[in-house]
Amino acid sequence: MSDHSSTAMDEEAEKQRKHLAMVERLSKRPQSRPNKPESSSESTSSFLSRFSDLKTSIETQLAQSHSIASDAAQLKLHFQNTSQSISNLEKLVAENSYLLPSYDVRTSLKTIDDLKHSLQNLTSTLIPKKKFSFKNKPTKKDSAIHQPPQNQIATPHSDFPTRRDSPGFANKTGELLIEKLRGSEVGEFALSDLHSCEVRVIGSVRALFVHRLRDCRVYVGPVTGSVLIEEAEGSIFVLASHQIRIHAAKRSDFYLRVRSRPIIEDSNGVRFAPYCLRYEGIEEDLRGAGLDAETGNWANVDDFRWLRAVQSPNWSILPDNERIGVVDLSNLKNEDKEI
Amino acid sequence: MGLLSIIRKMKRKEKEMRILMVGLDNSGKTTIVLKINGEDTSVISPTLGFNIKTITYQKYTLNIWDVGGQKTIRSYWRNYFEQTDGLVWVVDSSDLRRLDDCKFELDNLLKEERLSGASLLILANKQDIKGALTPEEIAKVLNLEAMDKSRHWQIVGCSAYTGEGLLEGFDWLVHDIASRIYMLD
Repeated sequence: MSDHSSTAMDEEAEKQRKHLAMVERLSKRPQSRPNKPESSSESTSSFLSRFSDLKTSIETQLAQSHSIASDAAQLKLHFQNTSQSISNLEKLVAENSYLLPSYDVRTSLKTIDDLKHSLQNLTSTLIPKKKFSFKNKPTKKDSAIHQPPQNQIATPHSDFPTRRDSPGFANKTGELLIEKLRGSEVGEFALSDLHSCEVRVIGSVRALFVHRLRDCRVYVGPVTGSVLIEEAEGSIFVLASHQIRIHAAKRSDFYLRVRSRPIIEDSNGVRFAPYCLRYEGIEEDLRGAGLDAETGNWANVDDFRWLRAVQSPNWSILPDNERIGVVDLSNLKNEDKEI
Repeated sequence: MGLLSIIRKMKRKEKEMRILMVGLDNSGKTTIVLKINGEDTSVISPTLGFNIKTITYQKYTLNIWDVGGQKTIRSYWRNYFEQTDGLVWVVDSSDLRRLDDCKFELDNLLKEERLSGASLLILANKQDIKGALTPEEIAKVLNLEAMDKSRHWQIVGCSAYTGEGLLEGFDWLVHDIASRIYMLD
């Protein structure tokens, strides 16, 4: 043990000796080559000293502002000059950015930003605001910052664009919900806050959003874009889509046809099986959506909460004998109780 | 030829830009990158981790980092902040319900000091979907005006599906970065 440490000390001493020798050699070099070209490190340091000079002079300018605060015209001119000095400084950084280490570029830009901020703050405190300025804005911003998180989340709703006529079903319990979309152009379709409902969507949509469903059965024609499901419990979904994301689902079964790999996140007890929906004209709709071929991806589930090679405990393949079999919406027609 | 002029020439030749693409899951980040690069966009799985694409755009080389947006992996975004010249925030304009989440995550991101110098392009994606919010409505919800003074930003409506608006957005981003970092010749 002591042997080992003494060799380590020897090595350390040897290193130091070499280092000193190197420093000495380097210190002699400039004299031997007086005409060498300016190295990049030297130009960096000359830039930095120039930069810090200019920065100091701008800071002095900023500090002077208070003393001439009484004379509005002079103050305005003063701010203009200061602003000009700052942009000159910015230009200096831009011109030198080719040769500067990126760290220096960044810190310089940060300094410039800070200077601009100080100038803005001074301008807004020393020059009184005109009548027509947007008075509400700063207060609104401030209140948003100081509000507790719940309120902060609620604020956007006030200026939230009201577009509630978008197709979909919301806030229903124990109902049969049917939508026939064949032949019409439908963008996004949303299902939210449904309890013990059966949803049948015949035809294809561009995007499907599902939020908070309990004990529901959901049968939907091809989705040409993506499906996003959040918070589903005890439900059955029969879906075809290009992309499917499932978040926070519990005890639910998914019968899927999907072009890419379906993913789950924060879910457990979810099971997967192949797509099994039929209605008159579904082949045409599937073809139109580029979903006519079975990809087998319904079984290639990625669990974002389980990034290991072994099978995730959160999902499984639904055993053959527990699958629902083909669901033919055309045959169920007679039971329609359209709402 | 002195060393300085050689260094200058090399730097000028590279004209590299590092661009970070982030946004909520399902916003279309990967589709946008592939579409710009002229690749097939018909089969794209949700991104587990990240993709890097090097694209030559006009006379610049863009290194685009497309980072997965699933909630579980958002905390890893910070690993990609260093040296970012341009930030692209992608919004699913048809996802009205999660706009609050979108605002929350964007606000969080912009607090990051390492990104304070980056130009910000907001892509209001999925404009081709009927019922999608317009870029103006998105700008209002995200309260973008508030950073008028602190950052270069721009919002552009686009569709990764049709390709519309993508070039317009990236044109702005590249020019904005170039005028800051390289000075337009």
